Amino acid sequence: MAGLVSGVEVGLLLWRTQLRMFVNQTVRSGKPGRIVGSVIGGAIILVAWAWEALITGVGVEAAHRFRAPVDATHLLSLGFLGYTGVLVFSSLVFSLNALLLNPDLDLLLAAPRPVESILAGRMVLQVIRLFLLSLLFTGPALLVLAYANHNPLIPIVFSALYLLYPVFVVVIISLMSLLLVRIIPSGRGREILTLFGVAVAVGINLLNFLLNPALRDAGIARRSGPLSLPDIPGASAPWLPSGWAGRSAAAALGGDWLTAISWALVLLALSTVIFAVGTRLSGRLYLAGWIQAVPPRRRKVGSFRDGRLRGAIPLLSPLLASIVIKDWRMRTRDLAQLVRFAMPVVFLVVIFGLRFPRLLSSVQGLGEGPAAAMLGLAPAWVLLFSLSISLGLSAVSLEGKSMWVYAASPNTTRRFLQGKCWSAALPTGLLVALVAVVSEILIRPGWPWAATAVLLAIAQAGSVTTLMVGIGAVFARFDWTDARRMMHPAGVFIGMALFAVVTGASALLLGISLALAGITHFPVMTTWLAAMTVSVGGGVAVAALSLLIGNDHLRGLELG
Amino acid sequence: MLSTRLLTKRYGSLTAVEDLDLEVSAGELFGFLGPNGAGKTTTIKMLVGLLRPTSGAARVAGIDIMAEPEKAKARIGYVPDAAMLYDKLSAREFLEFSGDLYHVEPRLRDRRIGTLLKLFGLEPRGNDFLSGYSRGMRQKVSLAAALLHDPQVLFLDEPTVGLDPQSARQMKDILQDFCQEGKTVFFSTHILEIAERMCTRLAIINHGRLVAMGSLQELRHMVGQDGQSLEQIFLELTGSREEDVRAILRGLES
Repeated sequence: MAGLVSGVEVGLLLWRTQLRMFVNQTVRSGKPGRIVGSVIGGAIILVAWAWEALITGVGVEAAHRFRAPVDATHLLSLGFLGYTGVLVFSSLVFSLNALLLNPDLDLLLAAPRPVESILAGRMVLQVIRLFLLSLLFTGPALLVLAYANHNPLIPIVFSALYLLYPVFVVVIISLMSLLLVRIIPSGRGREILTLFGVAVAVGINLLNFLLNPALRDAGIARRSGPLSLPDIPGASAPWLPSGWAGRSAAAALGGDWLTAISWALVLLALSTVIFAVGTRLSGRLYLAGWIQAVPPRRRKVGSFRDGRLRGAIPLLSPLLASIVIKDWRMRTRDLAQLVRFAMPVVFLVVIFGLRFPRLLSSVQGLGEGPAAAMLGLAPAWVLLFSLSISLGLSAVSLEGKSMWVYAASPNTTRRFLQGKCWSAALPTGLLVALVAVVSEILIRPGWPWAATAVLLAIAQAGSVTTLMVGIGAVFARFDWTDARRMMHPAGVFIGMALFAVVTGASALLLGISLALAGITHFPVMTTWLAAMTVSVGGGVAVAALSLLIGNDHLRGLELG
Repeated sequence: MLSTRLLTKRYGSLTAVEDLDLEVSAGELFGFLGPNGAGKTTTIKMLVGLLRPTSGAARVAGIDIMAEPEKAKARIGYVPDAAMLYDKLSAREFLEFSGDLYHVEPRLRDRRIGTLLKLFGLEPRGNDFLSGYSRGMRQKVSLAAALLHDPQVLFLDEPTVGLDPQSARQMKDILQDFCQEGKTVFFSTHILEIAERMCTRLAIINHGRLVAMGSLQELRHMVGQDGQSLEQIFLELTGSREEDVRAILRGLES
């Protein structure tokens, strides 16, 4: 019992500390940019809340007028079951992060508290975070429901369910993570997390494609007719926590106090027992075997891998080649970085793989000409989007705390940026070109159209990736320890927006060129090539501008 | 070889370094001492071009570091206090990269890498990733990288942290050899014993201001007590005398 209480105490302490850090980094930072960002963020949340309240109000009104036969218990149980999936994923990431990556674990364990209370504190912190996130997302809707139904019980019961429901998932996942950690060598946590993330992403996407009725039909045509909710009979089973939460929530909505509190109490009992047992077990598991010391991997001298990249890269100066090779090594040796190459392929498989034969025959049906050639660039476009964001935007920040190595060297930031452009654009350009060539070979739009389309793809790969490197330089982060925090969210947002603008403008220009050819009776190839030249020129100009701004920003960099 | 004139660095209202005047000649092994937060690292970072001074001037190897940073950096070797290296590169690969950054001709670079790895006893682990290196080994790799392009001035920020006694001794020998070639070493340390034994001249900085500079003998004259150890001189000049420390400890106990 003492461990349990101490666990809750540690959890609340951790939560208070995190809250304080959040406030210090935002409104109390004293930095105008951050304060403005916080105010804008707050305003966006307020607008979203107002919107959510409005939608809920309209929904309640509609439900009162047109009484649809909805099984509220089943629907809410289904909602809680779906939420369990989110809980599993976020808890696993949080738990492994807490155990393997966060540097404060040693600090906490050095405190005069039982190990289980520290681990339980982590669980409590995760539950609090999930609880607050649930309230953040659904709070206004709950208040509107309470007001519209004259039922103040609704937000109270839902809040209790938000607090209790995650407990069993968080505890079970934490225990599983501890078991997992026993077999993960020290220092491999980031790789394991990344692999898990990729597996979950692929799994969810594939399941979605295979099971979601809206996506099951192949081809571009959308399914007509009413959409139905997925039917999972077990969701509201009385032996499942999702069924208990669903019953309690449905009873609260219906104004049945007694039933709502009864099912919430069942959930409370389960949560308390699981938390108590989990706390005890976690301490024992942790002490039973924590692999801290694993001998470092020894590499073979003069291996094939070593030999491949020893030479210079043709046409590149030794300095630029050195940056390209170094970045390639960093990206391919660190799994978290390697995923930046792997994810685009996963996207391609998920988006095009299952429907590829039908899509191909649809595009081939267009016959020879620029339209088919352009549509053939779609996979290359997806790849370019993914690679330019992941490699281009992160190119400068990839240096991290090692940035001093370059900053102390006798080279200008312009040369550094040039190296980064090559290091991001070379793999991007090669892969985009490869995918574009394969697509055009399969589609066969006529070789002049195919050739110009491939050239366009390569030119856009170069210019868009360079554009991203420039944006990445403006929003560079060198203080990250977790690769996920390498890219600044504002940089990602601006990068995505500019990608859409540049590629959208290019597509628009090419479309206009086809229309112009029809109106003026000019040869299509002439207007097409003119549009391509303008499009590529525009892309290069924007990329050059971004590099200039990025260089200016890096020149002002101080590594204090 | 190295000079600063009224070198100042301010962070808002905080003055990290103020009106620093230094003069270090060729062949000197110059120790830069000061308590925690005195401004040692900030000074070194300004001298190697990682930070821009708020005011004042600094010349390294006869070149203005602010006006011609690239030219000056080509003559500088720098070892930071916590050398953040690329974990997924081997020591050999990191040194290759470093050589390319400093425009060292590839054949000369490879020859020097072999020599330096041997010199620092890193040859058997030269192809292992740096992520598996201890702090001391990383420090050695960092020093090897700083020496690779044959700099004229070597800046070291707490170079002996993390080194075992044998390695610390080895580093001392390497630095002394370096100075005998007419080159300059400028290093900060907390370990006064090392500074006392190694340095030809010393400077002591406190609260961002230079409080003393000269040979050990000159510093002794300055505090007016011959025969004092560097530790006693340091405590005297930085105002953290033994009695004060004892008084604070007594306060904690009561």
